[in-house]
Amino acid sequence: MTAMPDAPSPASPAAPENTPATAVRARRNRRLVRKTLTYVVMTAAALLVLVPFAWMISSSLKRNNEVFTVPIQWIPDEFRWSNFVDIWDRIPMVTYLRNSAFLAITITFLQVLTGSFAAYGFSKVRFPGRDALFVAYIATIAVPWQAYMVPQYIMMQEAGLTNTFWSIILLQAFGAFGVFLMRQYYMSIPDELVEAARIDGLSEYSIYLRIMLPLSKPALASLALLTFVNTWNDYMGPFIYLTSNELWTVQLGLRSFIGQYSADYAMIMTGAVISVLPIVVIFLLGQRYFIRGIATTGLKG
Amino acid sequence: MSHVTTQPDATRPAPAERGRPPRRKGRSRQIRRNTLVGWSFILPNFIGFALFTLVPVTAAFVLAFMEWNSFGSPEWVGLDNFQRMFGDENFRVALFNTLFYAGGHIPLTLVAALTLAIVLNRKIRGVQFFRTAAFFPYITSLVAVAVVWNMLFNPTMGPVNQFLETLGMANPPGWTASTDWAMPAVIITSVWRDMGYYMVLYLAGLQTIPEEYYEAARVDGANAWQRFWHVTLPGLRPVTFFVVVMLTIQSFKILDLIVVMTDGGPGRSTLVLAQLIYREGIREGRFGYSSAIALVLFFIVLIVTVFQFRLNERRKA
Amino acid sequence: MRGRLGKGVVSAAALALVVSACGGDDGGGSGDSASSGDGEVTLSVSAWNMDTTPEFQALFDAFEEANPNITIEPVDILADDYDDKLTAMLAGGDETDVLTMKNVIGYSRYANRGQLMDISDLVESADTSNLAGLDAYDIDGSYHAMPYRQDFWLLYYNKALFDAAGLDYPENLTWDEYAQLAEQLTSGDGVHGTYHHTWRSVIQAISAAQTGGDQLGGDYSFFTDQYEMAVGLQDSGFALDFGTAVSQQADYRNMFETEATAMMPMGTWYISGILAATESGETEVDWGIAPMPQRPDSGEVVTFGSPTAFAVNENAEHADAARTFVEFAAGEQGATAIAEVGVVPALQTPEITDAYFALDGMPEDDLSRTAFEPDVVELEMPVSETTSDIDTILNEEHELIMVGDKSVEDGIATMGDRVNSEVR
Repeated sequence: MTAMPDAPSPASPAAPENTPATAVRARRNRRLVRKTLTYVVMTAAALLVLVPFAWMISSSLKRNNEVFTVPIQWIPDEFRWSNFVDIWDRIPMVTYLRNSAFLAITITFLQVLTGSFAAYGFSKVRFPGRDALFVAYIATIAVPWQAYMVPQYIMMQEAGLTNTFWSIILLQAFGAFGVFLMRQYYMSIPDELVEAARIDGLSEYSIYLRIMLPLSKPALASLALLTFVNTWNDYMGPFIYLTSNELWTVQLGLRSFIGQYSADYAMIMTGAVISVLPIVVIFLLGQRYFIRGIATTGLKG
Repeated sequence: MSHVTTQPDATRPAPAERGRPPRRKGRSRQIRRNTLVGWSFILPNFIGFALFTLVPVTAAFVLAFMEWNSFGSPEWVGLDNFQRMFGDENFRVALFNTLFYAGGHIPLTLVAALTLAIVLNRKIRGVQFFRTAAFFPYITSLVAVAVVWNMLFNPTMGPVNQFLETLGMANPPGWTASTDWAMPAVIITSVWRDMGYYMVLYLAGLQTIPEEYYEAARVDGANAWQRFWHVTLPGLRPVTFFVVVMLTIQSFKILDLIVVMTDGGPGRSTLVLAQLIYREGIREGRFGYSSAIALVLFFIVLIVTVFQFRLNERRKA
Repeated sequence: MRGRLGKGVVSAAALALVVSACGGDDGGGSGDSASSGDGEVTLSVSAWNMDTTPEFQALFDAFEEANPNITIEPVDILADDYDDKLTAMLAGGDETDVLTMKNVIGYSRYANRGQLMDISDLVESADTSNLAGLDAYDIDGSYHAMPYRQDFWLLYYNKALFDAAGLDYPENLTWDEYAQLAEQLTSGDGVHGTYHHTWRSVIQAISAAQTGGDQLGGDYSFFTDQYEMAVGLQDSGFALDFGTAVSQQADYRNMFETEATAMMPMGTWYISGILAATESGETEVDWGIAPMPQRPDSGEVVTFGSPTAFAVNENAEHADAARTFVEFAAGEQGATAIAEVGVVPALQTPEITDAYFALDGMPEDDLSRTAFEPDVVELEMPVSETTSDIDTILNEEHELIMVGDKSVEDGIATMGDRVNSEVR
């Protein structure tokens, strides 16, 4: 196959006997219909997908004994906006939000940094034993945490790190997930690019810093987003390791509404709605990086 | 499309051999240097990983050959735990359920996530809203997910069955209230929940495919389907490998959604391995037995992963 | 150059932030807060949901007042998954002095692993004749915990719905009469006659208590009558069906407080819950309590209950103070303190019952008072090494019977088969 820069666009299915003007109009109409249809279908799908979220919001505006009705009551008899005021008094929400933010930001930062760094070693440097080490790395993700939770806790206790943020940070910042994700994206960046840089005399570290990092912005963004969300929503880790109330995260705070025999689900849903907001903001911010062009500009050079 | 699709491994010498005459001494020095450089990249993550994950995981695997109740000293029992496992009906049930779940969840989520990513990778107005909506299931409170999906699946009053009845189905499934249909209900819910998560990965992957490839394909007269098949899919291979492996891993250790939605029930119809590991270890204090199950789970996933790794390497070559 | 320098500064700042934030909060552990001479002791006690569980604070305040040299430092753990965390903590050699035993199954686990101190001498020296639920903590003649709270089951009913149907309040019911009432009280507009919560104890524990059946025994035919009654009620629509209750996570508080059910067998813990809901205006239900319905041949009121206890950690740093606390909580002063916040203490004396019924909003009729003094309170589930495994099996088979996957007869037969083959 050869390049033919002046070839006509293949996307011209118009019948030859039509005059150009009517063909264009027909095509435009058809495109408009298709576009409208796409929007209708997509909006319907989006609304369906959001039904559980709607339940969450509706419950956050109810009295507790109205939450679980049979059948479901979608619109509360009376909107209790006061739930969103009360929750700040019922639990130290500000402290919890601050702790969650601190943990999520620190862990995300470290995970992205060490993950992308290690990924370069796993994808662009060849050395014996590399792939075996890599497979061992990712297979460990498959061990459920419940299986090694107790040995890990004993280790942390011996090190005197339980009931400090250190325990959670050290546990979650060096996961294999980020290494694996970044390695796969680096694999899709052609090796010649790296080689050319080597010939230009760049050290491996400057290749990572000046070429790989800028090229992998979409991947870095998705890794950061997913790590942030997972840390923010994590419950079992902080629950097992953080005992003092002033160290608790939002997810722990919400669970404190579940008592020995009954639970305050209106408050839980109120808190859940509040705790989703930061994630939505991060997601909207991260979207900027899901745009084509960043990667390709590098390839042209 | 050969003028754009580059095959670095085939057409050029590997970086390690670049510009070196095939002399043994220089080669081995190069290997040593590369090993050092490689490890220097890996080390910051590896130290943390080894200390806080690898060591406890190894400890848990040693426990698989012991009996330990979390207090006092463990006792060596050899293969007793494994012998016991093969006679344990709970293990068989949980293994079957886990395979069932993985068999449904992996392909369905893969297709759903890829479709979503491709549909939402277009430059259309409001795409941000739709992307956010697709990600919302992943961040919706699990309790809300369980309640609403259980309502949708309610055998008599639920919209799902009402719809199936209008389609003329006389005996629609009992979903989460029946032992045969509880697992399919869980699979559907989990696909709905996870598709946005993997969509994010695919969205990032789609950005790495250079626009030139598509232009060239268009020039060659490829239609949309051919472009998808010959440009998009090969370009997404590294991401797909990642997604498939992560989906496999996450499916084999699924726990949270099941605990909230059915808690293994009705009966044992949605009991999965991770739940059994939790129950035997932390709840019953049989840490040896629980570790043995975890070891089996680990090997299943390892085999699947190595297989996928090989497949991926072969296709790449 | 500047760009790289900038990045370096940012990472250094982030690192500094991590170090300072982590270093700042290492308080709260039990290790640092050791005794500081002069008999001053800081006693750590594990508890759950301190903010929403007033009984702990009431108890701690009363104890500190009686023992001025001891300060209590609660170790606050979430009620949900409480035992998971305690398991990890104890495995790591935690030194928290007093451990709250949330239920007897958890107690049997910790005690059998040797994680709790033997306090038989405390039990023997104290006057335990009125201490309900103590037997549950007897493991081969020795005690490793003492109960301070004992909830038992009774029948809640909605007075307004009974009045509207022109029926007498449920006094001295048999189960047959109860089922008839459920039918009469069911009305078209979504009100069920009764509500059986999804726990297996609603059916299994009560029938074990009233027939004398052994839930660890391996022969479960004594469940038959109770299951047939319950399945019959839900099949005819006089009680919310189990499948819907589970999948909609039906909440018993919701069912009773929104007047969706006229009767409801439930534990005494709900009294403080419904009092609080009434006070805050969340519900206006006019309620009363009655004794649990009985089998026809029963001459006395038999129900079941579950105690909550305090134990001393084997690794306790301040074992003596911890023992003092356990004894205090099970005694007269501890019982009075928690009765005043609406919790049913394990120690039962007429004075404490008076204090309990003096609470604002408590029903004052004689029937309620009778309901509060059952003749026999059996243990919800006997304690042994096999309790936990059998509990799991009974629960799984309970679900299968209640969703209609198995007939009552088959389900009960499978329970026996599985207990005999899997546990022994």
